[in-house]
Formats: sequence, structure tokens, C-alpha cells
Amino acid sequence: MNKTKYSRRHFLQDIALGGGGLIVLGTFGFRIFKDKDRNLIKAISVDFTKCAGCRTCETACSAYNHPVLINGEKMNGLGNPYYSNIKVYHFNPDVDVPVTCAICPDPPCINACPVAPDMNTGRKALYREANMIIKNDTERCIGCKQCAKACENMRGGVIYPNPETNRPERICTLCDDNPSCVKNCPFGALDFIEMPIDRQLANLAPAKIAERLIEQLYNLNV
Amino acid sequence: MAIKGYYGKILDINLTTGEIKNTQIPEEDIKRFIGGRGLGTKILWDKLPNPGVDPLSPENALLFMPGPFSGLPIPSSSRTCVVTKSPRTSAVNPTYDHGSTVSYSNMGGFFGPEIRFAGYDGICVTGKAEKPVYIKIKDDKVEILDATKFWGMGTEEFDNALIDELGDRKFESCYIGPAGENLVPMACVLNTAARAAGRGGTGCVMGSKNLKAIAVKGTKSLEVANHKDYLNLLSQIRKSFKVDNNEALKWWRYGGTANALASSSRNGTQAVKNYSEGTFADIEKIGTEANREKVWKRDFACFSCALACKKSGIAKGSYSVMVHDGPEYETGTMLGSNLLISDLAGLQKLIAVSDDYGIDIISVGNTIGFLMEAYEKGIIDKAYLDGIDLKWGDVAASLEMLHKICKREGIGDKACNGVKFMANEIGQDSHKFAIHIKGHELAAWNVPVNSGYWSICYATSNRGACHMNGGMPQYQNAAALRDSLAACSFASRWYRNENSYAKFLTAITGVEWTDDEIDKAGSRIFTLEKMFNYREGFRKEDDTIPPKFFENKFTFGDHKGAIVDKNIFANDLDNFYKERGWDIKTSRPKDETLMDLDLEFTIS
Repeated sequence: MNKTKYSRRHFLQDIALGGGGLIVLGTFGFRIFKDKDRNLIKAISVDFTKCAGCRTCETACSAYNHPVLINGEKMNGLGNPYYSNIKVYHFNPDVDVPVTCAICPDPPCINACPVAPDMNTGRKALYREANMIIKNDTERCIGCKQCAKACENMRGGVIYPNPETNRPERICTLCDDNPSCVKNCPFGALDFIEMPIDRQLANLAPAKIAERLIEQLYNLNV
Repeated sequence: MAIKGYYGKILDINLTTGEIKNTQIPEEDIKRFIGGRGLGTKILWDKLPNPGVDPLSPENALLFMPGPFSGLPIPSSSRTCVVTKSPRTSAVNPTYDHGSTVSYSNMGGFFGPEIRFAGYDGICVTGKAEKPVYIKIKDDKVEILDATKFWGMGTEEFDNALIDELGDRKFESCYIGPAGENLVPMACVLNTAARAAGRGGTGCVMGSKNLKAIAVKGTKSLEVANHKDYLNLLSQIRKSFKVDNNEALKWWRYGGTANALASSSRNGTQAVKNYSEGTFADIEKIGTEANREKVWKRDFACFSCALACKKSGIAKGSYSVMVHDGPEYETGTMLGSNLLISDLAGLQKLIAVSDDYGIDIISVGNTIGFLMEAYEKGIIDKAYLDGIDLKWGDVAASLEMLHKICKREGIGDKACNGVKFMANEIGQDSHKFAIHIKGHELAAWNVPVNSGYWSICYATSNRGACHMNGGMPQYQNAAALRDSLAACSFASRWYRNENSYAKFLTAITGVEWTDDEIDKAGSRIFTLEKMFNYREGFRKEDDTIPPKFFENKFTFGDHKGAIVDKNIFANDLDNFYKERGWDIKTSRPKDETLMDLDLEFTIS
């Protein structure tokens, strides 16, 4: 291919097809995945071409998922991004890569969980809810960190073991099916859309995504 | 922690002794000076009880001050104000060898919010490390670590090297480049390799302490006084940024302050050819459209900001260079129009190299413009300039001079001190076109058109010439207040009426703030700075503008013939003092003014 003709559109198409799943780049990326004959789930998509790195999503996620009780009333917290389930990683040359739980069809985290399935529910400590989100049963979790390692090695590396208990945290809750990050993104970079559950998931590590974005945006030789 | 919305403490680090401690901030100071620039100045006042301290001595304090809005996701409130005693300024008639003004300079990005997440309302660095160090802060754990291997590294390389060293991309940091290490007086502090606390020599003070960087990460949360009110305000203000067809928002996203390159040039308010002209004929070559088309790839925002005025891209042509933020109005003017440079890639190269060294682009652009004018006039020759043929519009020559200044090589060792120093060096009436006030170079807004505003704005700036100062007390108070809250001036238009700063501050602190009290707090902060300067020996004769503005007429453009009338300026200045309640002979704030502003402690 002629290098100068390699457009952003081509790039997006390539990365969308190769990267797959949650990483929807540009609006048409979504269309690539939409297939009526396949099972769809609702999940958060990221448009890397729109993210400006402001981290409003982190604060909104943290505020919603870490509420405070004030005079008996439950309200959003103040939103320290450290506690957010979605993370925006900044790289130099300038690109920002938001990463959150991909709600994988073949969750490496659950597969890695060594806790024996419960006789009645069939659930390990780490399990899937009806709306497909992944949860941890803190009563049964042994804090072995295998889930975090699996996510780190095979997907986006979104699971943080709690520094004291080692139990997995930062797994997207979809905020009761109305994600705060999507609602509050000032740049329309996040969307809550239907996508097939059995999509390909690879190369979700922020550094890998950043590498490809940097190559496309700032390649001096193109 | 009596006042909500604060931790009530400063992280105090002495690099000479290695002592690290938390210092309580008196509640009364929080109420009077709020945070950021205001609280920083008060702490500096207390740390330096005697005037004349050498700004580059271990005694000087270097403060990194977020504000009460920092660390809360209040849109466009991520500023960090760096406050110190200036290595740039000096009085016309010095009382002390090292008499200098207060310096404050703020930067956007992510550093200030993270200081607050770590549980501090500010960081104060004093002393001087024996060898290069950096400070690593993770909540209560504070370490002073060796930075020898980083010394000499440009900010571009260091930005990544530090993240590698820390092994955690979620640390936020600020740092100096080689200019600060080399004690170039006009060196600055940067974060994210581009966002700079550019003015007033903050990076030089940091370099004098052998401090390369501060990296911080925090997991803490504050408490606000009226949580529900605060959440309502937050949701309200977020909505106001989301309105469809929000033209102001679009303006910022489209070009940031670079949009002003064309409009300011048209209006005759741009610094062109060392301030000889107000209009640049080739402005479209370096303006927003040219950059959108040829250079910029992405818009970037600071913490919790919807404006995204920072533009990154790749420049190609005479030079190929990664552009982190450029040009915006100041950098595009000072290294572009002011030097008659219209080669866009060349301009981008100059900006990128300046950022990499970590130097104040306003001051260095102004200084190169001064040298170009002196060279053109034959006051200095090529030999004096180490063989550089420093002609107007010459990118290669400007670049060579820039390298020399940042490395303090040859002529650069003199030129790095700025135009006041250079005019003294070369004499021959060159002080008339040395465009500085109190030793601090003027910025990219030219004076003669709208001189009523700009001459007062620059002449009365407490850090020396400053374009963000405001041309009348009301604007100055508002600016001082924003810098103290950590709010960005670019977003101030959204913070009005039901979304006012006063309403936010009331909800956060539980202390009832009105718009009038906000104005008064701004006035208090501005006047404290003035008292700091007065104590250092600055008087009325220091509040002036360079002779060029009284003598030079624009020769082309819609504002051909524009000039400043000396008598009108003198009259405006007197009126300014009267409105401020300052003595019109000495410029000292009157005792009753100081009492009214709760600044009794400054009366000696």
C-alpha cells in the first residue's frame, strides 16, 4: 500500500478488526461488529479519536461506585480517580488510552479463579452476573491475584488487587446499566452500545493500543 | 481540619537537611488567602521575613500550590500555582542587592489535583540538595531520591524516563529541563512535557535547589461542607459545558488561544518585530487554520476540562518535529510574529526546543527580538553574537541563539538574563527598546492599541510584566482569585450567576462567600503581593512601561500611528493607585487600605 494513501480510516478499520471487541474506533467500527445473527450485549465502547484525556470519566466512575452516606442519604462521592474502574493512561507522544473491563466472552479472570464452583450456583468466587458484568464474591475470594494476572497478561489489565486484602477491584459495574463515564464524557468518546458477545479480544493492553495510535498519528515518515 | 474542603496542611520539605514534615496552615490564612497564588504568597511572606534574600539561595521557598477546587472534578480547575521569590526582577533604584518581587506562575495538567489526592494543600520546598534529587510522594510516604542519572535530560526524554523509573503511569509529575539545571534565570517548570508554569523563573529556583522533579500519587479523599449543594453545582456546571451549539466551547476546541493570533494581529494588539508593530502581515501562515491543516492531530484537555485547548501534532517542512502544544497565542507570537518568523515548521521547532530545555518562551522570544533589533540597529555586531547572523525572520539563527541561551554558552550566558540585563550590557540607549517591566519581559499582547488597559495591566503586575494581570483592579482581583482557587481563566465565562465561584467555594468550605467577598479576597491577595514587593524596595518608578511605547508609532495595519501618550499613562496610573487605596507618590498601600483588607500584619 502506498504509505501516503494509508488514511486514518484505513487505520481505524485495521485496528478495529484486529483489536476487536470493546475497542471501537470511529463510528463505523461499531458497524463492523453489529451483526443481527449474533448474540449482542451492551458494553462500553471507546473512540480513541475523540478522547482528549481529561479523565472526567474516572472521576464520574469513582463518584458513582464509591458513594458516601450523608445524613443517612446515599450520594455520589467526590470521585478520586484512583478508585475508578475506568482508567485513562497518558502516553508521550500524546495519546490517551481509556481502558475498562471488556466483559470478555471468555473471561480469563474467571477462568483463572481457582475457587471451586459453588454446588448450587456454579459460581466461582469471580463470576458473571445476568447482565454479563463480572463480580467478585468477597466471602469466598482467597485473594490469590490470579484474576488480575490473567487480565494483565491476556487483556487490558484492568483488575487491581486491593493492597490489603489482595481481592480484585476496579471491575466495571456498568453503573446499574447507565454508565457514569459515558454520561459524563465531555467529548463523546465513550458510548454504551450493543456489541456481539463472542467478539475477538486481543491487544487490549494500553501500551499496545498507545503504540498503534502513536504510530498512526505522529509517524514522521508517513 | 476545621475548614472543610482542605486538609489544612502543607508538605514541607527541606532539601538541605532532608527533613520532611507536615505544617499546619492557620485556619485564618485559609479563609483570607484561599489557596494557590494567595496562600502561596502568604506562606512565602512568612518564610522570608526579611527582604533581600537571594532567590537562588537555599533560603528561598518554592511552593507548588493547588487550590480548594483542585482534586475535585470541577471543570477546568486543575491549575497548580508555583510561587517563589523571583530570580527575574529588580527595582529601578534597588534597596537590596537581591531585592526582587514575588513570582507566581501557574500550569494546567494533572499535577495540582494529584497533590490534593495525596492529602496536601500544597508543597513547600526549601534548602538545597547536595546532588540532583527528585521527590516521590505517595500519600504519606515521601522520599527524596537520587536524580543524578536524569540530570541533563530534556523534558521530552525525561517525561518518559521518569514514568519508567516509577513503574507506574498514574504518577503525576512536574520537572525542569536543562535550562533550569543550568540556572538560566528564565527557566520554567513543566508537566506533561509541555504545560508550563512558564513565567517568573520558577525553573531556575527549582534548579538552584538541585531538584529535578516532583512525582506524586494519591488515594485520599476530602470532605466538603455541603455535599449535596456541591453535587448539584457540579451537575449544573457540567451541563453548561454540554449545551449544543456552545460556540465558546467550540472556539476553544478548534484552536485554543492560537485563534487569537489572527484576531490580535488584525486588532493591532500583537507583539510584532520586538513590539514595533501590532500587526503581522504573514499571520495566516502560523495561525489556527494553517495548524489545523498541516500540524495538529489531536486536542488535549487538562484534568476534568471540556475545552481541550492544547494541540499536539507533527510539523514537517524545514524542520520535522513532534509538537506537544503549539503554537498557542503566546508561543506563536513570541517566537513567531515578534521575530517576524512565519515558517510554521520552523516556529514549531523553536517551541519544541524551548519546551525541551524548559525555558519561558515569552521571555526568551522577547530577548531574541531585542537582540535582533540591537543587531539591526548596529549596536551589536555579528562577533558580539558569536558569529550568529541574527536577522529578523531567521529560524536557524534564532534556534542557534536559543541553544546558546539555554546552555549559557558564550553570548547566551549574558542573554539568558533577559533584556534588562542586556540593555545594561550594551548600553547606547538600547534600554528604550528593552521590553520589560521590573526586569520581567512583556508577553505577546502589544500595548499602544487599548493602551488604557494594557499599560496598567503590565505596569502594575506584581511579578513584573504579566499579560494575565488585568488592566483594572476589578479584573486583577478576579485573576488573583482564580489563581488561588486553581480555576482556569479560559473557563471563567462559565462560572457566573448560579454557577459562580462563590457558590462553589461556599458549598466546599461551608463558609458563606458572596461575589463581593470574592472580589475583596482577590484584592487582599493582590495587595499582599504588592506589600511583598514594597518590602523588597519596589516603588512607583517601577510601575512603568518601556520607553518604546511612548516613542514608537506603528507604521502599518489598521492601527498605523498607534502610540501611548505618556501623560495619559501617568494619569491612568494615579487613578489606579487611588482606586486601590495606594499612595500616589510612593505606591504603598495606605494603612487604612491594609486594615480594611485584613493585612494588618504587613504594617511595620
